[in-house]
Amino acid sequence: MIEKYSILSPGFERDAPRELMLLSIISQSFFQPFSLEDNLLVILTALTSGSGVGFNRAMIFLKHGDRLKGEMWLGPRSAEEAGLIWEVLSTPGIGYVEIVEHNRALVSKNEDTLSARLKGLVYAADDEKALIPAYAACRKEIIHVRQASSEPLVDRRFLNLIGVEEFLCIPLIARDDVVGEIILDNAITRTPISPTDVKLAGICGLMAGNYIYSATLHRKLLDMEKMAAMGEMALFVTHQLRNPIVAIGGFTEQLLKPDVPEEKKARNLTIIRDEIRRLEDIIYQMGHFLKVSLKEPVYFDPAPAIAAVVGSPAIQARAKAYALNVKLEPCLPEILSDPTSFGEVLRNLLDNAFDATPAGGTVTVRGYRKSPTALVLSIRDTGRGMTNPDKGYLFRPFFTTKEKGMGLGLPFIKRVMDTCGGKIEVQSRVGKGAMFKLIFISREKESTP
Amino acid sequence: MKKKILLVEDERALCLLYEEELSKEGYDITAVTDAEAALAKLGEITFDLIITDIRMPGKNGIELITQIMGLRKDIPIIINSAYQSYKEDFMTWAADAYVVKSSSLDELKARIKQLLGE
Repeated sequence: MIEKYSILSPGFERDAPRELMLLSIISQSFFQPFSLEDNLLVILTALTSGSGVGFNRAMIFLKHGDRLKGEMWLGPRSAEEAGLIWEVLSTPGIGYVEIVEHNRALVSKNEDTLSARLKGLVYAADDEKALIPAYAACRKEIIHVRQASSEPLVDRRFLNLIGVEEFLCIPLIARDDVVGEIILDNAITRTPISPTDVKLAGICGLMAGNYIYSATLHRKLLDMEKMAAMGEMALFVTHQLRNPIVAIGGFTEQLLKPDVPEEKKARNLTIIRDEIRRLEDIIYQMGHFLKVSLKEPVYFDPAPAIAAVVGSPAIQARAKAYALNVKLEPCLPEILSDPTSFGEVLRNLLDNAFDATPAGGTVTVRGYRKSPTALVLSIRDTGRGMTNPDKGYLFRPFFTTKEKGMGLGLPFIKRVMDTCGGKIEVQSRVGKGAMFKLIFISREKESTP
Repeated sequence: MKKKILLVEDERALCLLYEEELSKEGYDITAVTDAEAALAKLGEITFDLIITDIRMPGKNGIELITQIMGLRKDIPIIINSAYQSYKEDFMTWAADAYVVKSSSLDELKARIKQLLGE
């Protein structure tokens, strides 16, 4: 007999030991498809929520070059506000995504947040004579401060800001480098910080440090990939632009010769017009690919979005030559993605399916649950299919098997799926059509009363 | 007798342009749009010269040249590409000439004449 468990649990067990819950939340930051800022806010929430370690407030400094800059400060401003926040976070079934949504609402609602006040604080990140809080990061030591106002090592500016006598400074370290620092206090409850709190916060610090390190590396990697794609693009532009230009030039040369028959004149002008249109299309698509910036993913109902794309005039016009079937499970769960990009992804895949399929063929869109937290949207065609080497290159920018394609559609789709933590799978055989499966993180809709 | 040239070019407009311009020069042009079709034609007809693009759907021009070298080493090959940079790929050195695509076909015509000993 075997039992299966999801690595990423969708909700957190309320009755789990608080240490386990805290570590579970923080460890998820490594896998969640949100921005560094969103994930850091969740880490701070975990440290401050009633069911986490249980500090009242948490602030984070991040290292930028040789400076340590105040970034975020999370926590209630009063006992009443604390009660409210902790109540929300103690709701049964609350998971990582809900905490992200809660934090976003909190940050956008409070103009005068603690974070805004923290942002002015900057310290040297490597200073022998650094004062607290930078002292902890510079020495790579956890510092527990009591009676702060009588401690000469505490920076007065910082003390004025934090306004408490006891707090804890946790340096965030990854591969022996300081990446930031977290400061925790109990400004509302005034509960003393225990040695267990210090140990647990220390472990969280190690995990948070490594998360920041890996997230920063990942960001750098994406930048490098983008640079490499730009290089490839420059090369590709030469080819894409040169071909129509050569055709335009060549056919114009022919027109300039004496005694060109009227028929040939009309034919050459048609070719020239078509090639100019193609140039316009190339320039438009390149601009679009370079410009598109993806938004943060949110949960939404995919069914109306699918209906809007499938029912759009452009798709309906193309679908006339095919049998287009849409089979969606009733009451699809909500998926995590950027709704605008989702529409473009589906439109792109439908266009590809039509391009690859001879008239009279079938294109099928299916939507179904793969697991309680995953929804599959598949687009299947009965077209020419692909060879194995083609499949390997599919997601590389500027690879195309189409006569007039730019090879930017699938790389765009891959980028959208990566950004929302989803996956894309391809199944195809030559002559047997192709199926693209988009796998989204999903959650069931809240039942309406 | 007219010299036979095999033209491998996936851009249909360019195919038509080259076909017309080179026919005017007195050559017998067979134009195909991919490497597989080129290999098939090579099995049917004895050509005096081959002109091929590099970047094409399916097999690219360099793969095509490699295969042709295994079949017939004696046919001169001209690479006609929009990419200057492929010149640095040593596999393209197997070709007898490398002409970057241009709306003036003068260089291409000159290379053809030279390789055909005209």
